[in-house]
Amino acid sequence: MTISVNGELKTFKTDKLTVEELLKAMNFGKGIAVALNETFVMKSKYHETNISDGDRLDILSPVQGG
Amino acid sequence: MDLWQLEDKTFDSRLMIGSALYPSPKIMEDSIRASGAQIVTVALRRQAAGEGGKNPFWELIKELNITVLPNTAGCHTAKEAITTAMMAREVFETNWIKLEVIGNQYNLQPDPFALVEATKVLIDEGFRVLPYMTDDLVLAQRLADLGCTTLMPWGSPIGSGRGLMNPYNLKTIRKQFPNLNLIVDAGIGKPSDAIEAMELGFDGVLLNSAVALAQEPVMMAEAFKHALIAGRLSYRAGRMQERDMASPSTPTVGTPFWHQFK
Repeated sequence: MTISVNGELKTFKTDKLTVEELLKAMNFGKGIAVALNETFVMKSKYHETNISDGDRLDILSPVQGG
Repeated sequence: MDLWQLEDKTFDSRLMIGSALYPSPKIMEDSIRASGAQIVTVALRRQAAGEGGKNPFWELIKELNITVLPNTAGCHTAKEAITTAMMAREVFETNWIKLEVIGNQYNLQPDPFALVEATKVLIDEGFRVLPYMTDDLVLAQRLADLGCTTLMPWGSPIGSGRGLMNPYNLKTIRKQFPNLNLIVDAGIGKPSDAIEAMELGFDGVLLNSAVALAQEPVMMAEAFKHALIAGRLSYRAGRMQERDMASPSTPTVGTPFWHQFK
């Protein structure tokens, strides 16, 4: 399946992928928050939130702000 | 300075400072410390894959050991702002949110309609919403009606350094909402702007560019620290009555060479 991760298209050779598996596969560490198709996904739901072909993920972390 | 109760916390300093645009992380750290601010604003952005959670910026902010106020900068719809706020609550472990919903790209003017919409949802979700807003009295009323106890009207557009564009509007909001925490957020260019805001009776000032883009940010941060103190004391002390005519301050009794009959 092909999904968008932070605006970049990524292809995975599987039809089943959870948010938890994706974060591990792409080496995203702690201190992040995830939105799937512009909807917030709680950390406690990563393991049971499935990603589908065409989904958009945003993975955010702290930066400077005013 | 007198203690300041903001939302569910108490502070000595009435200055809130941003963490962006500094020439270096070290200057940011030194500036924030020199400012005496006990609240720092931060944001969320996309993280590059493969970083494994290393975030030197965030480590530095945590070391400052002051209150973190996440923002929703860059959001243009209520939905974006709500999602960003929820992400921020999890990452920063706070239910405080500086709610920004931009309505115009030219002057980054907040969208009052989307702001009200997002505020309603976020307050229902248990957030303490500190809305970045225009200096519109009716908007202030709507946000207060929804349960905001802090309002943050702009002084002038973000990063413009133009100071207080419309002191009358700010003064009116102050008069109409004596019990809310009012903070001038955005547009402050120099310490005298901050003093003016405090002399209008505002409870605090939030700024970033005025320090980060100064020729000497650390020195400017210290200048703002003193400005906030001066402005607050001035407001509490109460200014003298303004007069049209001059009135000598030095006693006239006993003046030598006094031309009594002139």
